[in-house]
Amino acid sequence: MSDVLIKLDKLTKIFHTDEVETHALSNISFTINKGEYVSISGPSGCGKSTLLSLLGLLDTASKGSYVLAGHDVSDISKVDRARIRNRQIGFIFQSFNLISDLDVEENVELPLTYRSDLDSKQRKKMVKDALEKVDMGHRAKHFPSQLSGGQQQRIAVARAIAGNPAIILADEPTGNLDSKNAEGVLALLDKLHAEGATICMVTHDSRSAMRTQRKIELLDGVILADIKTSNREKVAIMAEVKKIAEEVNV
Amino acid sequence: MMIINDLKYALRLLSKKPGFTLLTTLVMAAGIGLSIYLFSFFHTIVFKAMPFKDSDTLIQVSSSQNAAKMGSPINLHDYYEIRTKLKGVSEFGAYRTANLNVSGRDGARRYSGVLAEPNIFRLTRTKPLMGREFSNESNRVGAENVVVIGYDMWKNQFSGDPDIIDKSVRINSESYKIIGVMPEGYLFPSNTALWLPLREDATQISRVNSGNVVGLGHLKEGVTTEHLNPQVGLIMQRIAQQYPETNSDISAYLSSIQGADENGIEVIYTMHIIAILILILASINVGNLLLSRAIERGKETAIRVALGAPRSRLISQMLWESILICVIGAIIGIIILIWGLDVTEEYTKGFFPDKPPFWWIFGIDGYAVKMLVTFILGTIIVTGLLPAWKNSSVDFNAVLRDGTRGALGKKAGRLNSFLIISEIFVSMTVLIAATAMMVGNFKATRADYGAITENVLTAEILLTESKYTTPEKQAKFVKSIQSRLENTVGIGDVMIASALPGALTTTPAIALEGKEYNENKGYPRANYIVVTPNSLEKLGVELIQGRYFNSGDDGLDKSTVIVTDSFAHRHFGKSSVLGKRIRTAELDGDSPKWLTIVGVVEHTIQGPSYGEKGKVPSVFRPFSQAPRNQLTIAMQVKTDRKEATKSLRQTLLSIDSELPAFRIEEYQESLTRHTKAMLFITSIFFLFGVAAVILATSGIYGVMSNAINQRTHETGVKRALGATEGRITKEFLMTGIKQLLWGGIPGLLAGSAMGFAMSSILSISIGDLASVAIGLFVIIGGTVIVATYIPTKRALKLEPSDALRHE
Ligand SMILES: Nc1ncnc2c1ncn2[C@@H]1O[C@H](COP(=O)(O)OP(=O)(O)O)[C@@H](O)[C@H]1O
Ligand SMILES: [Mg+2]
Repeated sequence: MSDVLIKLDKLTKIFHTDEVETHALSNISFTINKGEYVSISGPSGCGKSTLLSLLGLLDTASKGSYVLAGHDVSDISKVDRARIRNRQIGFIFQSFNLISDLDVEENVELPLTYRSDLDSKQRKKMVKDALEKVDMGHRAKHFPSQLSGGQQQRIAVARAIAGNPAIILADEPTGNLDSKNAEGVLALLDKLHAEGATICMVTHDSRSAMRTQRKIELLDGVILADIKTSNREKVAIMAEVKKIAEEVNV
Repeated sequence: MMIINDLKYALRLLSKKPGFTLLTTLVMAAGIGLSIYLFSFFHTIVFKAMPFKDSDTLIQVSSSQNAAKMGSPINLHDYYEIRTKLKGVSEFGAYRTANLNVSGRDGARRYSGVLAEPNIFRLTRTKPLMGREFSNESNRVGAENVVVIGYDMWKNQFSGDPDIIDKSVRINSESYKIIGVMPEGYLFPSNTALWLPLREDATQISRVNSGNVVGLGHLKEGVTTEHLNPQVGLIMQRIAQQYPETNSDISAYLSSIQGADENGIEVIYTMHIIAILILILASINVGNLLLSRAIERGKETAIRVALGAPRSRLISQMLWESILICVIGAIIGIIILIWGLDVTEEYTKGFFPDKPPFWWIFGIDGYAVKMLVTFILGTIIVTGLLPAWKNSSVDFNAVLRDGTRGALGKKAGRLNSFLIISEIFVSMTVLIAATAMMVGNFKATRADYGAITENVLTAEILLTESKYTTPEKQAKFVKSIQSRLENTVGIGDVMIASALPGALTTTPAIALEGKEYNENKGYPRANYIVVTPNSLEKLGVELIQGRYFNSGDDGLDKSTVIVTDSFAHRHFGKSSVLGKRIRTAELDGDSPKWLTIVGVVEHTIQGPSYGEKGKVPSVFRPFSQAPRNQLTIAMQVKTDRKEATKSLRQTLLSIDSELPAFRIEEYQESLTRHTKAMLFITSIFFLFGVAAVILATSGIYGVMSNAINQRTHETGVKRALGATEGRITKEFLMTGIKQLLWGGIPGLLAGSAMGFAMSSILSISIGDLASVAIGLFVIIGGTVIVATYIPTKRALKLEPSDALRHE
């Protein structure tokens, strides 16, 4: 359990808009180990997305340090940040964010095309594997607009995992989905975790949070609680989930 | 009620963003003003109906040479032949313009007159204000001298004398009876001050000795000049076979008098196309600006739909915006237009030695109003269509739910692509055609006519036939005026010629000794110019071989000639020409008079430098061997132009009191007249070019940055997935370059095709065209790259997390 993947130390993010300063995050410190499944929850506006953006190198912190896989990434060049996003991080967004001009296959392939170490054949294989993992292999030639929300999010998951990232970052991945489709996506994440993936998921749905191993709760930019989810709780939730799923299926 | 509300709403939107409103309105004003100006201008000078009944069926018969439409008169015999053989035209008539010296109390003045067949006024459906028209009797050879005068002459020369009819007036030193006065503004065929009967009968005069006339007639119902011209061509071909000496290479054609089917019409059509393209460019730009606003308001629109607003209402609101912008733009445009047409009217007067054709009245006429309404409707549709199209394709639910772009992204992307490609295509086409035209015009204005033209004053003199009856008398007059002027203080060299370099002259058929001419190989033609000895030298027409004329060439019994090197080269190649003999093909009298070539001079351009005219070679004869009654005097002015003019008038008066000098002007001035119209059109084109550049570059930039702006979110996604900034920039540039090729290459071809179409009239070479095309491709390519690069850089300034949040 000592394999540290992410280490944050007093990470702070301040937004300056007009004359207002928003302290979106203040002195956030925690570590995430390899293979962990972490949820970040809290009320709207508490800084969840901001934290995930920092973790995903989509934005830079105002203060503090961030070590990813043993490298300090708090102060690296834009090109290096892009490279790390590409190789180490897989994003899943609330609104899917597939590129509408590209078909499913091309969407999944997109991050791989930014890598120079892969030839077209290797890429095709990785795309095929990823699509099979999310059970969408039969939709390879469809365009996003031809798919349901749940299917689009599965494609987004495939895109996130295609390059074997060190960590998957998901920002309310079920926020735009109905409960049945949401369950499908969460089950997919469970499966990926079971296969060894490290996942960090933002959610304000406590039930989703309970499915993870560890729950970080934010309030107004500070960590309120960082707790291991007990097995008992988890089993109870899974049973309930199963019941709901059956009801829906009937 | 609904409409009022929508109008109010649109007004509120527009007043909320005054900068935006001002910009779009001005773009529209420029687009509408410029294009209507161009349509109106050409309509006035080329297509406008003349102000009398049946003017739409009135046609003229004029000559063409080597298939080039010259618009010049045809031989009276040819006219008779066409009149008897051609079906489809009724009421044939003919006229010839003539400069007439009219004597009044204060000396003689020159007027442009017309010698016409008696039906000239009936052809134009106009009756005299006073008196009567010509009777058929008055046109008989040898009939009494009668004249119909114009309104202006009646008012000015005769102080509007109410009893003018049957009074007499001296014209070209002969007495004429005034039988009629034409109404005010009647100046047919062009700017005629008085009309005399033609009194020539082809059956009583030989082909060689008969003059040239312009034929007139009315097309019968249902026929057009295109129908009849092949027939005319055949009639003329038969004549050319019969009389190759006078008619080789000569044909005739029917055309409208305004010149709608003369050479050069390609240029005019090109300009019309360009005007439309500019309007489209302006519309696309405004449409794009409105479109980006519609996108900004996307969410608001979605809310309105959710609240139950019918789509038609939304479109109506959006259309009102277009209507307001286009109409206000048009009003501003019209104000500029009125001013522009005023300036044009002033300026176009300079195209003509006397006055422009009387129907050239520039202003907002029925035609302009018609075009204006059409253009406003067109621009409203184009500018309103883009946002409306965009709007109707929005998935409002999706917009409201979460702002995902969903299916919209693709359509919007295509629309943007389409806009950018159109912008590139249109601007490339306009700029290439406009620049090619400017290059051609510029070259024409800098032509070397072959003579030194600085500080030279020219004047024309017409020796009246009744006084200068013999060649000897004409030659004597020329000798004395030349020597008297040269001895005048303030005047240097004096040159006298039938036509100076730069002036049009007759181009008779020429025969070379030892060559055979037949139906297949007609006689070549050359400018035929008569000069006094030394004139060529003094004019600065350089000698290449042999000698200039000298006093040894004096005398009607001598027969010498100087040719231009273009003539020598064309007809003798590299072999020596000195001593070779040539003659005019038409036999004046019975025995051919062979002329010995004694010198070769540099090429002179007779007429405008552009087109085929400038390339015609010339031959020169000494004045004393072949005198003329129409001549041009050129004098080197040493001190003051006014003094020189006065000296000229005094000298003339001392020789002959009834002989006016007319069109006294600087040599340069008469030459610039050839290019003045060109220069004017060039400056219009320059204006259009500048407008096109501004519209095109701002338009390309606007659409590009709009398109890239709309892709900010997508950029965020790609960056989240690991795309570097370099990669994103490259992607946008590649897209930009692809669009440049899609729009630019067809534009390149279209513009070059238009340039090529004009190259026969203007001196535009393929090389010019190619460098213009390549140059502009590079410029527009540069614009596209800058227009891609700057918005891309701006989009990349955002952190990826912000870009992802971007709506
Ligand atoms: N780019 C930004 N500029 C200014 N303020 C921001 C920006 N992004 C987020 N914030 C503010 O930071 C706080 C946290 O936002 P966010 O992380 O999106 O919350 P959550 O995802 O938990 O709902 C909020 O108060 C929000 O208004
Ligand atoms: Mg959030």
